[in-house]
Amino acid sequence: MKRILILITALAAAASAFAKDVELLNVSYDPTRELYVDYNAAFVKHWKEKTGETVVIKQSHGGSGKQARSVIDGLDADVVTLALAADVDALSTHGKLLPADWQKRLPQNSAPYTSTIVFLVRKGNPKAVKDWDDLAKPGISIVTPNPKTSGGARWNYLAAWGYALRKYGSDEKAQEFLAKIFKNVPVLDSGARGATTTFVQREIGDVLISWENEAFLALKEFGADKFEIVVPSISILAEPTVAWVDKVVKKKHTEAIAKEYLEYLYSDEAQEIAGRNFYRPRTPAIAEKYAQTFPKIELFTIDDVFGGWTKAQKTHFADGGIFDKIYAK
Amino acid sequence: MRTHSTLTRTVLVSGLLLAGATGLYADSQEDEIRLLRDQIQALDQKLKVLERKQELRDEEATAAAKSSVKVTANDKGFSVASGDSANVLRLRGLVQGDSRWFFNENVSNNDAFVLRRARLIFEGTFNKIFEYQLVPEFGGTSGNGTLTILDANINIAPKKAYQLRVGRFREPVGLEQLQSDSWAFFAERSVVSQFLPNRDLGVMLAGDILDGKLSYAIGAFNGTSDASNNANNSDTNDDKDVAARLFATPWKGSEGPLSGLGFGIGATAGHQNSLNGASGSLTSGYRTDGQQSWFAYRSTVVPQGNTSRLSPQASYYYGPLGLMAEYAVSKIEATNGTNQQSITNKAWQISGGYVLTGENASYLGVVPKTNFSLSDGTWGAFEVVARYEAARIDDDAFVGGANSLANASTAARGLNGYSVGLNWYLSKTVRASFDGFHTDFKYAPGAAPASNAVIKQDENAFITRLQLIF
Repeated sequence: MKRILILITALAAAASAFAKDVELLNVSYDPTRELYVDYNAAFVKHWKEKTGETVVIKQSHGGSGKQARSVIDGLDADVVTLALAADVDALSTHGKLLPADWQKRLPQNSAPYTSTIVFLVRKGNPKAVKDWDDLAKPGISIVTPNPKTSGGARWNYLAAWGYALRKYGSDEKAQEFLAKIFKNVPVLDSGARGATTTFVQREIGDVLISWENEAFLALKEFGADKFEIVVPSISILAEPTVAWVDKVVKKKHTEAIAKEYLEYLYSDEAQEIAGRNFYRPRTPAIAEKYAQTFPKIELFTIDDVFGGWTKAQKTHFADGGIFDKIYAK
Repeated sequence: MRTHSTLTRTVLVSGLLLAGATGLYADSQEDEIRLLRDQIQALDQKLKVLERKQELRDEEATAAAKSSVKVTANDKGFSVASGDSANVLRLRGLVQGDSRWFFNENVSNNDAFVLRRARLIFEGTFNKIFEYQLVPEFGGTSGNGTLTILDANINIAPKKAYQLRVGRFREPVGLEQLQSDSWAFFAERSVVSQFLPNRDLGVMLAGDILDGKLSYAIGAFNGTSDASNNANNSDTNDDKDVAARLFATPWKGSEGPLSGLGFGIGATAGHQNSLNGASGSLTSGYRTDGQQSWFAYRSTVVPQGNTSRLSPQASYYYGPLGLMAEYAVSKIEATNGTNQQSITNKAWQISGGYVLTGENASYLGVVPKTNFSLSDGTWGAFEVVARYEAARIDDDAFVGGANSLANASTAARGLNGYSVGLNWYLSKTVRASFDGFHTDFKYAPGAAPASNAVIKQDENAFITRLQLIF
């Protein structure tokens, strides 16, 4: 009898073990789908070689701000790979899901790859768009997502602001400049991938203000005979950030694998994958290898012009902030 | 010469004027075309923007619908579910109002209206895989004012192939016992189910494998007596009963007549020891179809030793035809302190039904094509049912005279039962049943049944039931 009981207990334990398949959820922003499909395959192999365990990685994509909201509302993300630090900050400040100093836990302020903001126009550049000033002219139609929900849209907005601040010299002038640009925006998508769909597939607008990686991907997927990239005179250094979500990984007992998943983003293999997917690698050797892919462009940082994400978020994108005033007009 | 030159000039001027006019006309036409093209492009853009905005609104509405709480009310009950359906609470219910009428019997005061079952069924899921069930019973013996928790369990169900259930639930043994009593052919299950365990406390690993064609279950339980629910966490010893069941439906999903054939076997094995001050764990009495006790051990008898049950079983459903056959052998070592016996009791039954209105019969009941409605002139579904059943008690239960384990004057040595009935499915949720039961009792050698014993005469009973289940 005791043996039978032990057998049943063992079977029950086996069933419980089956129930605990190692599974990781990466909640990311809109245009990283392709990047993480490639990276996940590499990481699954790496983890198997390192530990012998099989891991299943699930991806979730959407506007960065919207994704952060979902995690705060209970989406069990083991890791977040969002468009900007402010959205990860929100997980700390509003959700208490990870410590406030999360950005110091990984190299390069937890931004394993970078990008910037460029313009995608239709082939031949029929509206002769060359720089940010051209976006503020009447009669031009611009596609950019909603900064309230999209991290990419906030980078777009701040890139334009930084340009206007340098050229026109004051915040008031910059605000006027942004107001002119947003007057030319007929529709606001919730995320960067949606905006690309609006411009590329729905054929709306003359210019898409876009992540550099997303613009390259559009050329690759839809053909260089249909679109071309215009590089403005100056843009912003976009630093998408990554973090494991402490509260979730502790609950799911996935802390070790979640950390490794993010740390491995800095490996040569992962940096190669980032470069192949049109993200600017951090590792100097890999960055050098892909230097020809990316145009030379003067980049300012959010710290330089806006005093960091916390301040920029509060000033421009919080409820009642400058964007609300601009778009209400 | 002058005239010629004037003429030439005139022609030249006229030509130039004509050419100019034509050019102007052409320019204006091109401008107009350009203007129209621009207007068309502008309108095209406006239309595309409007379409895109609508698309985005639709996407938002879809996303909002996915995240919003869903409340449903239908003939399966009421449910509240999270937007992703990962977390669900369902409220269901069961009420059975019976009337029992006995004929030519020698026991008085047993014709009655009975609230046989009155249950609220709370069940649902958390995080898609953690299922739960809580079933309080307000009717039956609990109708005397005692509330009983029939089922209370948690089922971890990552896959259909392996699920782990903990708590109080039905032991995986009897085919008819595991069928919802709401959908059994008759108002009362056969005598076979009396010889097998009902609900008990324990842990069970179960699942459906081979594309659902083989169900398995194996569990460890406190151990409960035949036909009883272990409703009060009782356990008289440290030993645990093991219950297991295999049931195959090899042709499930096929089109042929064998598609509804299933067969299997259920079994339990355990050890009961009730002599060390704990209360006994023997059956409180095997009951007839009319729910009268026809066999019970004397009150001093307790289990002492090994117990086991074995139950081969089969069912067949094809169109409106349903059949069920089941055999049970229940072994127990019992004692009253001086007389210890190894008792082997047996029972078997075959039952069947045919849905006269053509609906499919199934283990999960009959769904009528129409609901009963006087205004629409529809009547629901009708099913005729029949059953033969028999039971035999081990002769050793009666040896020992006054020291025997069972009193032969009140306990029968066996029975044969014959039943016919009509089930009327007024809707998916309401069933009325009308059942006639006849039971012949067999006596122990030399037994003289007491004049007021149930077994003194054959039992002839007529039971009606109106049942609501959702």
